Amino acid sequence: MSQFKYLINRWSRSDRQRSVNRDLQHTQKTKAALSNQLDNNLQLLQKVYADCSDIIFHNFWIGDQIQAVLIYIDGLTNTEEVDQHVLAPLQKDFPHEYNLETIRKKIAVSYIKQVETIDDIIAEISVGNAFLLVDQENQGLSIGVSQWKTRSIEEPSAESVLRGPREGFIESLRVNTALLRRKVRNSNLKIRTMSIGTYTTTPIGIAYIEGIAEPDLIQEMMSRLERIEIDGILDSMYIEEMIEDNPYSPFPQVLSTERPDIAGAYLLEGHIVVLVDGSPSVLIAPTTMFALLQSPEDYYERYVGSTAIRWLRYLFFIISLLGPSIYIAVITYHQEMIPTKLLLTMAKSREQIPFPALVEALLMEIMFEALREAGARLPKQIGSAVSIVGALVIGQAAISAGIVSSPMVMVVAITGVASFMVPRFVVGIAVRVLRFPLMFLAGFLGLLGLLLGVIVILNHLLALRSFGVPYLTPLAPVQSSDHKDVLLRAPHWRMNTRPHLTGMQNLYRQSSNQRGINHQRMTMDDEEGGFYEL
Amino acid sequence: MIEKGRISASQLGKILYMAIIPTSLLTTPAITFKYAKQDLWLSPIWAISGFITVFIVLRIYRMYPSENIIQIMERIGRRIPGKIISGIYLLFILYVNGVIVREYSEFVVSSFLHTTPIVVISGLMVLVCAMAVRGGLEIVGRFAELFLPIFITLFLFNIIPIIADLQWSNLFPIFGEGIRPSIEGAFVLQTWFSEMIIASFFLPFVADHHNAKKTLSRSLLAIMVTLSVSNLATLLLLGELTGNYSYPFLILARYINISNFINHLESLYMIIWVLGAFVKICVFYYVTVLVAAQWMKLSNYQPIVYPLGLLLLLFSQWVAPNTQVLTEAIAGPVTLAMITMFVIIPALLLCIVWIVNRLHN
Repeated sequence: MSQFKYLINRWSRSDRQRSVNRDLQHTQKTKAALSNQLDNNLQLLQKVYADCSDIIFHNFWIGDQIQAVLIYIDGLTNTEEVDQHVLAPLQKDFPHEYNLETIRKKIAVSYIKQVETIDDIIAEISVGNAFLLVDQENQGLSIGVSQWKTRSIEEPSAESVLRGPREGFIESLRVNTALLRRKVRNSNLKIRTMSIGTYTTTPIGIAYIEGIAEPDLIQEMMSRLERIEIDGILDSMYIEEMIEDNPYSPFPQVLSTERPDIAGAYLLEGHIVVLVDGSPSVLIAPTTMFALLQSPEDYYERYVGSTAIRWLRYLFFIISLLGPSIYIAVITYHQEMIPTKLLLTMAKSREQIPFPALVEALLMEIMFEALREAGARLPKQIGSAVSIVGALVIGQAAISAGIVSSPMVMVVAITGVASFMVPRFVVGIAVRVLRFPLMFLAGFLGLLGLLLGVIVILNHLLALRSFGVPYLTPLAPVQSSDHKDVLLRAPHWRMNTRPHLTGMQNLYRQSSNQRGINHQRMTMDDEEGGFYEL
Repeated sequence: MIEKGRISASQLGKILYMAIIPTSLLTTPAITFKYAKQDLWLSPIWAISGFITVFIVLRIYRMYPSENIIQIMERIGRRIPGKIISGIYLLFILYVNGVIVREYSEFVVSSFLHTTPIVVISGLMVLVCAMAVRGGLEIVGRFAELFLPIFITLFLFNIIPIIADLQWSNLFPIFGEGIRPSIEGAFVLQTWFSEMIIASFFLPFVADHHNAKKTLSRSLLAIMVTLSVSNLATLLLLGELTGNYSYPFLILARYINISNFINHLESLYMIIWVLGAFVKICVFYYVTVLVAAQWMKLSNYQPIVYPLGLLLLLFSQWVAPNTQVLTEAIAGPVTLAMITMFVIIPALLLCIVWIVNRLHN
């Protein structure tokens, strides 16, 4: 017993509470302020930036009399702008009287900030701003001339649509916030910023609409983000896994998207969007299972078709989870469920197969997943070769070699197609992982095992919350006014209310009378002068 | 309070429906038929114990909105006798749940997985239920909420395809031998209706308590209608044969044949059965755990979920040596015991509480 305890302790020691800030003291973080002596300041900064070959210290004279130094990072700063709008005005005909204020007014750049501590200077320079040190001043000016190469705005390849906006977020936080601001042109769209990561100091934007998003939710999000102490954030996934309610769940509790229109739509429903610099995927919280099964196109096509497609998607979502296991259960334990003729055909094709259905299905599923992964990771040209080989190996050779039966291939193929129908890749992964234990259960206990497995998964989903919102709302707990956007895709003129758990403080999103021109004429002709209730 | 979760009144209604219907759907038609013959479908209307229990539960709830009947028994019975009574109740609920688990397992073994040991079937079910119960009241409520539509859809899917095959002449004569047989047939149904008493354990955690009365009566009514419809369908399809099968409603599923393609849907019935039994066992399991935790004055019930699960599994093996004994027990002693424990004693309790309150005033 004591040995066991020792092991547990030893194992958990590596996990003991530790603050990374203490470990990071050797990074030259200092609250030191600037002095009046330019040489001292320069020495200090040169020490900080020792061995940084991309830092440029440019000495020059302001108006032929005062010594000044301009510090910036090569590549992050627009040198042309520095030459034309900073150096040129300062070096030419500068008046006799000078102080920081007059210098500031001379510089033809709109973002200028007075900075005094080394910490802040480093922060400003890292962003790409040029920093101006002037002799006899204990403050410096940070000049916003940062500019670096970004990807152009393109359609996100993982979330393409036939109809609807095609722009996608890119890796720059500022461009992304601008994209959001272009969707929601209102001063109530608030974007708070903070930076996370002791080494990367990645800027994070937290966007929400004041008056719609619950203040508690915003507070919760801020405190969860402020908790994070990490060396670096390289993608929004780092944040996602750190702010989830149940970090062990295979299901994502934060929705991530590359589309500004989706982010905008969720902002309008009272959700919070977290933008991470360096990642084109923004995070949306809270989310539900059903939000993860929706595609942006649902809202850009006619509602009848969208509703039908939504149901098709739900059906195939279930198939992608249960397909192979239902097949295994039926073929192993419940043959009577199969119509006789079909059963005969299936029996004939299974006659030669040496494996039980479970082994056969496992073989094929693992093979399929492997091919899929190989195809996804390889360059496009080779990827197609993999899929051809895979199709031949799986589809043709395996059957004629008598290793798998053709119905099995069909089941695996249908499951594969079904898993591609899930619009969010993350959910697809969860389903792909969960498919295997279900296959085992079905192989051991038939439909009963399958059902018990499904109940266990449901048990997890029912207990799961995303920022306090139950994961399966509005089905369980039932919230019937939200069914219009889950069981159906109600026409936009019927989407009168926001979802209850996020938009409660500002419930109505539109007036109740939005049905279009015919309806309006009808109400005008109405002698009572009343309005028809929708 | 020991339970931090809250449920809505409609969730409570769904919990009750899902806790009572599944097993009664399966086992009652055969037993009822023995007495009621062609008046089988009228028996669910004599849901006297259901009405009484709902009345008692609501009355007591009005007087003590934050306590269940067992807590009130402890309060009335003072320290030692109170603890003894509630201890007996704890064991009784555990026993009832054991019967339910056994019923479920017997059915699965006899109809689908003939060679699987019964302990495996019961054990897996208890394990799954334990996970849900550990999640708390909210999870149980949401399960009921989620499964109810599925359950009703499958139920209708079991009945609608055979409508064309129903022999309406099986119905007559209605009240052929007077009203008596249908009442006699209703006797065994009282077991299920008296289960409405479990509402008392959930009511203290209902958020919108003003809907309590409405939701209880609605779910009682829904139970009566469902049982009546299922009995009617069984009777109209099987007629005199109803009594020959131990699970007549399952025969309905076997009978379904849509254009020679969709047939032999017993497995579909198994889905209904497993989902229903799961919720039912969960509900009783939860009540057991809650009562046990309150009995021992624990601050949290989660630690005792798995140990009680083990006990539940043992009880399910102990209740009867085989199916025949189990069915006989349900038709006789279990019914009597449940009526005593779930109807008569609570009625006495209500009287005592009422008198005590009068005396105090």
